[in-house]
Amino acid sequence: MTDTEKLLQLKNLLLDEDRELAQKILQKLDELQHTIDTKPELAEKVNPIIDDKLKVFTEEIPGKLGPTIALALEEQIKNSQEQVVNILFPIIGKMIKKYIASEIKALSDSINAQINKTFSFKRYTVKIKSFFTGFGQTEVMISEMAKSKVVQVYIVEKGSGLLLGSFSKQNTIDEDMLAGMLTAIKSFGEDAVQTGDQSLELIEYEFYKIYLKNFHTYYVAMVISGIFDDVFKNKLEDDLFRFAKKQINPNIQNKAVLNTQLAHFFKDA
Amino acid sequence: MLKSKKIVLVGHFGVGKSSLIRRYVQNVFSDDYFVTVGVHIVKKVVQVNNQELTLLIWDIEGKEDMKKLRPSFLLGTSGFIYVLDASRPSTYEILEDELDFIRTNYPKTELVTVANKIDLVDKESFIATLGEKAPWITHFSSAKTGECVELLFEKLAHTLVQ
Ligand SMILES: Nc1nc2c(ncn2[C@@H]2O[C@H](COP(=O)(O)OP(=O)(O)O)[C@@H](O)[C@H]2O)c(=O)[nH]1
Ligand SMILES: [Mg+2]
Repeated sequence: MTDTEKLLQLKNLLLDEDRELAQKILQKLDELQHTIDTKPELAEKVNPIIDDKLKVFTEEIPGKLGPTIALALEEQIKNSQEQVVNILFPIIGKMIKKYIASEIKALSDSINAQINKTFSFKRYTVKIKSFFTGFGQTEVMISEMAKSKVVQVYIVEKGSGLLLGSFSKQNTIDEDMLAGMLTAIKSFGEDAVQTGDQSLELIEYEFYKIYLKNFHTYYVAMVISGIFDDVFKNKLEDDLFRFAKKQINPNIQNKAVLNTQLAHFFKDA
Repeated sequence: MLKSKKIVLVGHFGVGKSSLIRRYVQNVFSDDYFVTVGVHIVKKVVQVNNQELTLLIWDIEGKEDMKKLRPSFLLGTSGFIYVLDASRPSTYEILEDELDFIRTNYPKTELVTVANKIDLVDKESFIATLGEKAPWITHFSSAKTGECVELLFEKLAHTLVQ
């Protein structure tokens, strides 16, 4: 082979390779064109990439953009409080209404259960009452429940918080400890306010109240269920003064006598 | 005569007032520290001279100075238990002032002084470091081991009925 021949052969070889490469590239381009032209095939390739990016995006957005969004929202709420209230009002209103409705239903259910449980005699009286008053049986029961009643009475020595006498329509927690804690709460409140001769008079809970009346060396705590209004309070005070004069003062050192007298006096109050 | 008495435990934070009461009333001990907020009252009925005596034990939050205590919590007390921590000298640095304060303001009230956490120190050397304060301490107790706890309350209960 001459040198020229050799050179030619080499050229062919190289060119062939060139041609092959060009061919391959063209083929790829064709495929690509095809993929782009036919969407589903493109989606098949591109979707995983988008998904990946989206995942990163959603992972990062709360940290990166969250504060900005919150700030913007806050600003917006600040600037248009009324609008926000208007939007929220019906939603909250509905929630409250629903809650109250379910509570009333629960109450009415429990009253109905109570009606079924109590003596038939009592049921008749309620029925008669509701017949005459024109209210439903349940409504009459609700007003019965709301009637104020003295449920428990404690006579407690001031300072020491020691129990001098007590009366309870239902069994409760340890009365000695209760008297002590009441005294602590009472004196804590009175220390905290410190406006001279003021004393704590009423502790209110959801379904009952504790009415406190001071005497010289002791105070009387009465647990009251139902509505506690001025009429009831005045009557209670009168009763209490009468009872204190007649029974507490002479029997202050005698717990057993006090307990009997308390039960006698308050069993129907 | 009333068959119940009010007892109040006083002393700095963390000396073991609540622990002493828990050991005495429930016979338990815990290494965890629950800060007493306000006041907690427990009851224990004891036999004294074949008669029942109800102790109402007031556990009030610790203060580094008796004068800072709510006076109304101390009214009507029959017996004070002044507690100090044998392992922390700062809890008995002003012991004399504290005891004087109680005796002056509550002259009719019984008073016992207790060095608690005695399990953490060597009793003899503790007494030695107390020096002139040593005679003021009436009991050396440990709420952890129970040492002297029952004795302390019962002795006080006895003095209260006399
Ligand atoms: N080693 C030991 N630790 C005690 C003793 N009494 C109380 N403690 C611990 O001391 C801490 C404070 O006790 P506490 O009764 O709450 O103190 P208070 O603030 O005086 O009521 C708690 O971690 C207890 O476990 C004791 O006798 N020995
Ligand atoms: Mg405590």
